[in-house]
Amino acid sequence: MQLSFDPRPFDLLGGLKVWGVVCLVVVALAWGIAGLLMFLQSGAPGLARLIDLTTGLIRDFLQTSPRRVWALAVHTFREAARKRALWVFAVFAVLFLFAGWFMPELKQSPDMAIRNYVSFVLRTITWLTIPVVGLLACWGLPEDIRLRSLHTVVTKPVRRQEIVLGRIVGFLGIGLLVLLIVGSVGYVWIVRQVPENFGQVTARVPIYGELRFLTREGKSEDEQGMEASGVNVGDEAIFRQFVEGNTQARAIWRFEGVDMNRLQNGQLILESTFQSFRTHKGKVDQELLGQFTLVNPKNGVRVPLQTFFNREFRRNSYNVTERNSRGEGGKLELKDEQGRTVDLAKDVLDGGQLDVEVACLSPGQFMGMARPDLFIRLPDRAFLTAYGKGLFSIFLMLTMIVVLGVMSGCFLKGPVATMLTGFIFLVGRLSHDFLQQLTSDKLLDNPKLQMRGRGLLESLYRLPTHLGPQIEVEDNTTQRVIKAIDNIELNALWGVKYLFPDFTQFDATAFVANSFDVPWDAALLPNLATTIGFCVPWIIVGYFALKCRELEAK
Amino acid sequence: MSTSPENVIVTRNLTKTYRDFWGRPKVKALNSLSIDVKRGEVFGLLGPNGSGKTTTLKLLLGLLFPTDGEVSILGRPATDVSKNEKIGYLPEESYLYRFLNAEETLDFYGRLFDMPASVRKERTRELIKMVQLDHAKRRQLKEYSKGMTRRIGLAQALINDPELILLDEPTSGLDPIGSRDMKDLIIGLKERGKTVVMCSHLLADVQDVCDRIAILDGGELKVFGRVQDLLKDQGVTQIKTSKLPPEAMKEVEAVLQKHGSKVMEVDNPTATLEELFIKTVRESAARPGQRYIPPSN
Repeated sequence: MQLSFDPRPFDLLGGLKVWGVVCLVVVALAWGIAGLLMFLQSGAPGLARLIDLTTGLIRDFLQTSPRRVWALAVHTFREAARKRALWVFAVFAVLFLFAGWFMPELKQSPDMAIRNYVSFVLRTITWLTIPVVGLLACWGLPEDIRLRSLHTVVTKPVRRQEIVLGRIVGFLGIGLLVLLIVGSVGYVWIVRQVPENFGQVTARVPIYGELRFLTREGKSEDEQGMEASGVNVGDEAIFRQFVEGNTQARAIWRFEGVDMNRLQNGQLILESTFQSFRTHKGKVDQELLGQFTLVNPKNGVRVPLQTFFNREFRRNSYNVTERNSRGEGGKLELKDEQGRTVDLAKDVLDGGQLDVEVACLSPGQFMGMARPDLFIRLPDRAFLTAYGKGLFSIFLMLTMIVVLGVMSGCFLKGPVATMLTGFIFLVGRLSHDFLQQLTSDKLLDNPKLQMRGRGLLESLYRLPTHLGPQIEVEDNTTQRVIKAIDNIELNALWGVKYLFPDFTQFDATAFVANSFDVPWDAALLPNLATTIGFCVPWIIVGYFALKCRELEAK
Repeated sequence: MSTSPENVIVTRNLTKTYRDFWGRPKVKALNSLSIDVKRGEVFGLLGPNGSGKTTTLKLLLGLLFPTDGEVSILGRPATDVSKNEKIGYLPEESYLYRFLNAEETLDFYGRLFDMPASVRKERTRELIKMVQLDHAKRRQLKEYSKGMTRRIGLAQALINDPELILLDEPTSGLDPIGSRDMKDLIIGLKERGKTVVMCSHLLADVQDVCDRIAILDGGELKVFGRVQDLLKDQGVTQIKTSKLPPEAMKEVEAVLQKHGSKVMEVDNPTATLEELFIKTVRESAARPGQRYIPPSN
C-alpha cells in the first residue's frame, strides 16, 4: 500500500493573503467597470446609483431576517422533496444491493479490500449527491423566475440575499439529509464487508516530518553546493528519491511535537512504505535491509535501532519500544551508539523534536522514499471518525456546488447555469494543476519551476523561428517587450486561476480508504477555508445579480 | 420626490422602454405617466391589451425598473423592500407554488412577513374561510381550478392585512358569482379604509367598484378622473318612474315640448346578464331540481 499524495499543513495566513488580494482586484475591477458604464449611461446620477447599490449591500445584509431565510429554506427543501429529488436514495439502495457481486473479495489482501470498499462507498456518495443537488440548485431560481412564482415572493418584504441564502440553505438541507442517510447505509455496508481475518477497521493518526537527504558521502550538500537530494533511478514522476545501500546516504525525517503523552501507551511506532529498487538480483527471496536511527537534534543523542526488512506495498510497522513484533514480548532497551542505555522520554524525545535517519543496508540496492513514506503513529481513532470527516468533506464540496449553482441561477437560465456550474466544477476538478503550473512563476522566481515559452507572444515568436521551449531566446529589447506583455497576460491568468476552486482537494477518500484519520490542518481546514473563501463572494455576486435584475424583463 | 401623506401612490413622468439585447429601444410600454392614488380609494387602471396597465403595476412593485421618471409607494421608492410590509399583490395569473396546498401556501407567505405562528394560523383559517376554500384547503394547488387558484391568490395577497392592495385582473377566470364576490370584497376592503388599485379591461367590473380611473392606450394616459364625473352626460336628463300609461306619456311629451326638450328614448329598463345569472344560480341552489323562470313584468 502506498500513498500517492502528500498531505501538508495548510498555510491559513498565506491563504487569507492571496484571498484578500484576489478579492480586492476583482472588486476594484468590477467597481471600476460598472462605475464607468453607469457614468457613461446616466452621468453623475449613475455613479450615485452605484454608490447606493454598494451601501445597500451592507444595509441589506445587516437587515437579513434569519426567520425569512429559514422559511425560504424550508420551502426549498419541501419543493425539492416533492419533486422526487430524494429518489436518489433508491438508486443508492440498488447500487448497494448488487455492489457485492462486482467487488473482488481479495481475501489475501484485506487492506486492499477495505480500500476498495471505502473508495466505492465515498465515490458513489459523491457522484450521486453532487449531480442531483447541483441540478436542483442550478434550476431552482431560474424556474421560479420563469414560472413567475418568485414574483409573489419578491413582492413580500423579502430581501434578495434572503432569497439566495434561503435557496442555499434549503438545497444544503436536502444534500445533508441525503448524505446522512446514504452515508449511514454505506458505513454499515463497509463494516459488514470487512474480512474476518482483518479485525477492526480503524483510522490511523500520523505525525509527518520534513524530509531531507545526505549524499552517499554523508554530506548535506552536493558537489554544486545545492541541498542534497536522493538518487533518481529513472522514474518520470519524481515522487520518491532513492538512498543507495551500504553507503553513507541517508534519508532524514525531522518530526516536530513528538511527546510521550501523545504516543500510543508510551510506545513509539514508526510506519513506513518505502519502495525497493534493485540494480542486481541479490537474494531474490529476501527484501532489502534497512535501519532506523533515532536522533535527538537538541542533545545529539543517537540511537541506532534493529535492522528491518522492507516489505514493499505493505504497511511496515516498527515498534521502537516493544519486542512484540519479534514475538518475544516485553520492553526493548534502547542504547546509543556508545552502547549506553538511554531513556526514550528523557534522552530521545526531550525537546519535542526527533530526527529519524533511514539507511539502506543492502549493497548496490536502493530504497526509495518520499515525505509521507514514514510517519510516527499516534493512538488510532475510530473508523467512524475518519468516515464522518470524509462525509463532511463531501458536504463541503456539495456546499460549493450548491452556492455556485444558486449564484449562476441568479442571472442565467437553468440550462446555462448548469453549464457554467459544470464548467467551473470540471476545470476545478481536472485542470487546476495545469493552471497552477502555467502560472507558477507568478509567485515563484525559481527558474527550475518555470514553464518556458508559455507566454502568448513568446510562443508566437518561437513557432515561426523554430525555437523549442528548451532553448533560451536572446536577451534584447524586443524580447524584453514580449516578456513584459506576456507577464501581464500571466498575471491576468494568475487572477483567473483563483476563480476556479480546486475541487480535487475535497476528496478525502485517499485518507479514509487507506485507514488514515482525515487531518484537520492538512485536509479539513483548507477545505473549510476554500469553501468559505469562494462561497462568500459567490453569495454577494448572486445578491447583486438578483437585485439588479428586472424579473419581468422581456 | 415629495408626496403628500394623502397620496399612497405617486408617479411622475413614469416611462418604461423595453430594449433588445444591444440596448436599442424595442417597445415603449409606458410614456410619461403621472398619476396620484389617494388613501382609501379604489383606483382602476383601464386599457386594452398592451396599453401598459400591467407594466405600470410591475413598475409600482419594483418588478421592472423605470427607464425614466419617478414612482413612490407609501412614501417610499418602488425598489425599497420595506414598502412591501404594507402591500398585497394579486398577479394577473396566480403564480403560486403548485406543489403546496392552500394552508401551506398561506403559511409560507405569512412566514415571509415574520408573522408569529399563532397569528399565521389564525389568519390562514380566516382567509381560507373568506375565499371559501375550506373544502379544498389540503389539496395541492396543481389540482385547483382557475377560479380556486384566483381565490387562494387573493388570500395570499391579504395575508398581511395590507394597507394597499394591487390587483391585476382580479376577476379574470372567475365565474359571475366569484366575480361578484370579488367585487364585494373590494368594496369591503375600501370600507375598512384600504386602498385598492386594480387593473382590468372588464369595464363593468371597474365601473362597479372604482372611485377613480385612469385609461391608458399605447402606453399613454388618455383619461384620468372620478368614474361618476367621467360617465355623467350633462346634456341629457334621465327620469326613472314606475310604468306610465300611454296617455301619461303623451302628457309628459307635451310638457317637455313646452320647455323646448324632446324625448330621446322611452324603454323599459333591463337587468344586466350578471344580475340574471346570479339570481338564477341562487334560486337554483334554493330549489334544486326545479327550473328557474324569471318573473315577467
